[in-house]
Amino acid sequence: MQNSQFVQFASLVMLAIVPYILASQGTMLAGQTGLFIVSQEGVMLVGASVGFLGAFLSGSLLIGLLLAALSGAIAGLALAYFTTTLKLDQFVIGLAIFFLGLGLSNLFFKLVVGVTLQPPIIPTLKAVPIPLLSQIPILGPILFRQNLMVYFSILLSLFLIYFLYYTSWGLSLRAVGENPKAADSVGVPVARSRYITAIVAGMLMALAGAYLPMVYTGSYTDGIVNGRGWLAIALTFLGGWSPHLIFVGSLFFAGVEILALRAQVLGVGLPYQFLRMIPYLATIFVMLLTYKRLRTPAFLGLNYDRESRTSI
Amino acid sequence: MKQVSPPLLQLQGISKSFGPLLALKDVNLTIQHREIHGLLGGNGAGKTTLMNVLFGLYKPNAGQVILRGQTIHIQSPRDAIHHGIGMVHQHFLQVPHFTVVQNIVLGSRLHNRPTLNLTRATERIQDLCQRFGLEADPNAHIIDLPMGVRQRVEILKALYRGVDVLILDEPTTNLTPQEVDSLFESLQRMVAEGMSVVFITHKLREVMQVCDTISVLRAGEHQLTLPRTQVSEELIVRTMVGSDIDLDESILFAATAPQESSSSRTGPPVLDVQGLTLTAESNTPQVDDVSLQVHAGEIVGIAGVAGNGQQELLEAVLGIRTADRGQIRFQNEELGHCSTRDRLRRGIAYVPEDRVQDGILPTATIAQNSILGVHDRPPYSQHGILKWPIITQHAQHLIAEYHIQTQGAGQQAGNLSGGNLQRLILARALAQPIQLLILHNPTSGLDIPTVEQIYRQIRQRRQEGLAVLLVSDDLDELMLLSDRIAVLYRGALVGHLQQKDFDKYEIGRMMSGVYNHV
Repeated sequence: MQNSQFVQFASLVMLAIVPYILASQGTMLAGQTGLFIVSQEGVMLVGASVGFLGAFLSGSLLIGLLLAALSGAIAGLALAYFTTTLKLDQFVIGLAIFFLGLGLSNLFFKLVVGVTLQPPIIPTLKAVPIPLLSQIPILGPILFRQNLMVYFSILLSLFLIYFLYYTSWGLSLRAVGENPKAADSVGVPVARSRYITAIVAGMLMALAGAYLPMVYTGSYTDGIVNGRGWLAIALTFLGGWSPHLIFVGSLFFAGVEILALRAQVLGVGLPYQFLRMIPYLATIFVMLLTYKRLRTPAFLGLNYDRESRTSI
Repeated sequence: MKQVSPPLLQLQGISKSFGPLLALKDVNLTIQHREIHGLLGGNGAGKTTLMNVLFGLYKPNAGQVILRGQTIHIQSPRDAIHHGIGMVHQHFLQVPHFTVVQNIVLGSRLHNRPTLNLTRATERIQDLCQRFGLEADPNAHIIDLPMGVRQRVEILKALYRGVDVLILDEPTTNLTPQEVDSLFESLQRMVAEGMSVVFITHKLREVMQVCDTISVLRAGEHQLTLPRTQVSEELIVRTMVGSDIDLDESILFAATAPQESSSSRTGPPVLDVQGLTLTAESNTPQVDDVSLQVHAGEIVGIAGVAGNGQQELLEAVLGIRTADRGQIRFQNEELGHCSTRDRLRRGIAYVPEDRVQDGILPTATIAQNSILGVHDRPPYSQHGILKWPIITQHAQHLIAEYHIQTQGAGQQAGNLSGGNLQRLILARALAQPIQLLILHNPTSGLDIPTVEQIYRQIRQRRQEGLAVLLVSDDLDELMLLSDRIAVLYRGALVGHLQQKDFDKYEIGRMMSGVYNHV
């Protein structure tokens, strides 16, 4: 039946959307204050490893998620310290944190689990149907019979739209990424804004990673993040650094991911590698079409020094 | 008995040094209630430094600030605003992609933080606009606004925070004469409402036009404070420049109109630009069908509000940018796709607007900088090898002739002060046999004696038959030096005036695009 196939596909997309949303909205949020993060892949790996091990040792997925968020907060704090306080290059520090995360994620797992014949397993996130709403035909099963992290990412996106564009805090944050000197001159705390967004961004990225072992197989494997961190950067640019477009873009990226899996199972004749390539091709294609209209925060990737006399 | 209330604001014994440089020496200044106080001085006199101290941007080494008879401590701009002191900086601190109202409320205490309902703020801003005659659409984006409106936004920012003293740092720099008049009207309304205004400028005429009290600073020292009614222009000028220049010989403060050019303007022009058009990526022309001639022995001025295509026009003439359409002929030869280097070799010299970014190599020595552009030609090099003795000698010669203050040709050019840097750049341009000199804002930010010296050199070269294309944001400078002025508005030449027809209001109208025939 057509209908049920669509519902099944769409609800799988909703499952796959979570890491894209969390990682990209985090990237976007830090970008609004001028911090350009490139360590997504590494922070997500650490989040996956820490989250999995926390859940495995404690028996509670929630504790796993909390620990993962903590690890992400540390990564964000480190990034903010090196770039905002020490004014080191954001790109270089971001790459350094990526490589550190790449190594640490495996190290943690080896230290705790070691080499085993049977890989450790944790329970997966359960669907929590929302009363009444989940009874709506078609929409109900797609949107309201999901796990808590799916709800969280949707609510997060809505919250960020409201926060950034409809509150004075959002206005201040965006001013920091657009012209930190102007923000500073009217008393908006530039450094504090950057620290906060860096820490929140790190937490969201780590949660994005921790979600991966918890949603499908319940097991942790090397390279479980599989490039989603890099895709998050592309997605953020594609979404023009705005939370609503990033949400739409996440739907697209998750859709392609599920299609690729489907195509592999059904054997449509297209090589799997080709399908995996689609999100990247789509990014380049959309960028080509829209690069003149897409905007990034004016101070993205640049550190701010009050004493500096250069003006923009 | 008349009751004597303390003055609004007193600065007492303010001293401030930057490293070894003493920028302010024991300065006293008193601002009365309800006055426009002109703070006058050449560049480097310490005007901005003094006001930055008052606004909490700089910490003074000594001295105190007394507000209404009470000593206050200002540590940051936030404290200053809290005490009712606002400042409009020369470079606007605005977020281009925010609206006017967003820029104004940014960082202010909003009662409805979580909902950011800007209706009330917008109403208040509209009210301020009306009260003070500062026209601005609260919902327009800053990026779409002309400089004059952007400046009003900056003033509104201060007024919105409810200041009693408003400091304006060189507020007329980017304004047309009409905009200057309307700014002055607004300032007078502020004073009528009980505020005081401190007006920092180096332009004497503006001070005489609008200020109630005038103070003059020179070299970091307070010289005088007098009511306008008790001063003459001559007294002020003498106080501003001290004994540094001879006023009777001065070009800058000349009482009579400049002499006509000796150019007969016969024969073909040195530079002949026809229908030059340059289109930006966004398909709006940056230079729009510009035709222009410069003859030997004349100075042609280009007026216009900054950002109306001046930079693009010059870069097209120099071959830094490629024009989409049009012809550039230099001494009767089509330049076509000639490289920039070829153009310079044929006898064009360029003094760019941004001295440090585009004019020199900051970490190279003065000697190295003095031959930049001709460094691969004899006598400075042969077979690709630089001849240092000749280069050093050449540099020493320039240092002496142009009075560049430095310890020697081996010093880093980046350490020179603005005035000395500009002398070096001008010296380099004039040291070669050239037929056309292109100048872009040649005196911005320079002290009075240097300006005087640069004007003198330009004039002298014109007498000797050099063709000069002078692009400047400073209308007074253009009217002082040019034989003809063309006005650039949105990349197009919208007007053309001969020296006898110079009128700053007429030019101002053209600069704001009101006038529309060539």
